[in-house]
Amino acid sequence: MDPAAEGTVYPPVTFVVEPERVAAFRAVFGQAEGVPPTFLTVPEFTTFPQVLEDPRLDLDFSRVLHGSEEYEYLRPLREGETITVHARIDAIRRKGGSAFMTVVMEMADADGATVALARSTLIERGEGA
Amino acid sequence: MTFFDGLVVGTELPTLARIVTREDVKAYADAGGDQNPLHQDDEVARAAGFDGIIAHGMFTMGHMAACVVGWAGADAHVQRISATFRSPVSMGETLVAGGRVRSLDPQERSARVETWVTVDRDGRAEFPVKRGEAVVRFP
Repeated sequence: MDPAAEGTVYPPVTFVVEPERVAAFRAVFGQAEGVPPTFLTVPEFTTFPQVLEDPRLDLDFSRVLHGSEEYEYLRPLREGETITVHARIDAIRRKGGSAFMTVVMEMADADGATVALARSTLIERGEGA
Repeated sequence: MTFFDGLVVGTELPTLARIVTREDVKAYADAGGDQNPLHQDDEVARAAGFDGIIAHGMFTMGHMAACVVGWAGADAHVQRISATFRSPVSMGETLVAGGRVRSLDPQERSARVETWVTVDRDGRAEFPVKRGEAVVRFP
């Protein structure tokens, strides 16, 4: 994980909040209606490949763990709407042989207004960590 | 369903328990889009130093969110939710999610809730999520 990749901004990705995907997500967690609070992981995982496959990061996926996650909604997500996901690497830190990367994704609606923010920390464990 | 006017600091959320199964973790991988083999292939998981596959952190967090939504009701809006993943969760373990109201904002009609997820390991409670947080706005 090259610390120089900190601050990298990736091309925006379009994501449709398809009702079927929301329903499948609800079913896993037994929620009867609405968009589950952690559904933002779906647009995140649609956007992650271009970040995780960035050759400068040179990630060994067998050593990558999810450290933490934070979602913030400026308004509820609506089923059927199209959002645009803007991803950037907010920080890369090394600690005790492991590397910590914080990726921030800003989700904007059709009017360009921010709907939600996702902040995840990924840990690449060092050898023997 | 919870009414904002009935809340006080210290109000506890009803706990929510679920046994983690391979089937549910696979269903989560399909619904969430995270197909990392660490959560589906025991050999891959063992090579990474685990006893077998582990649940996605987002499986545990999704369960934590279900505890909050089940308590708050469908008309409430979860404005913020966060978790730090402290301990991998294995198949067959029982996740128990809980929470407690830490502060109330009458102007916003919102509650800040401290949340957690525990598993029992040999009679000892461990915390896959210890200091999670949710901010819930009520109608």
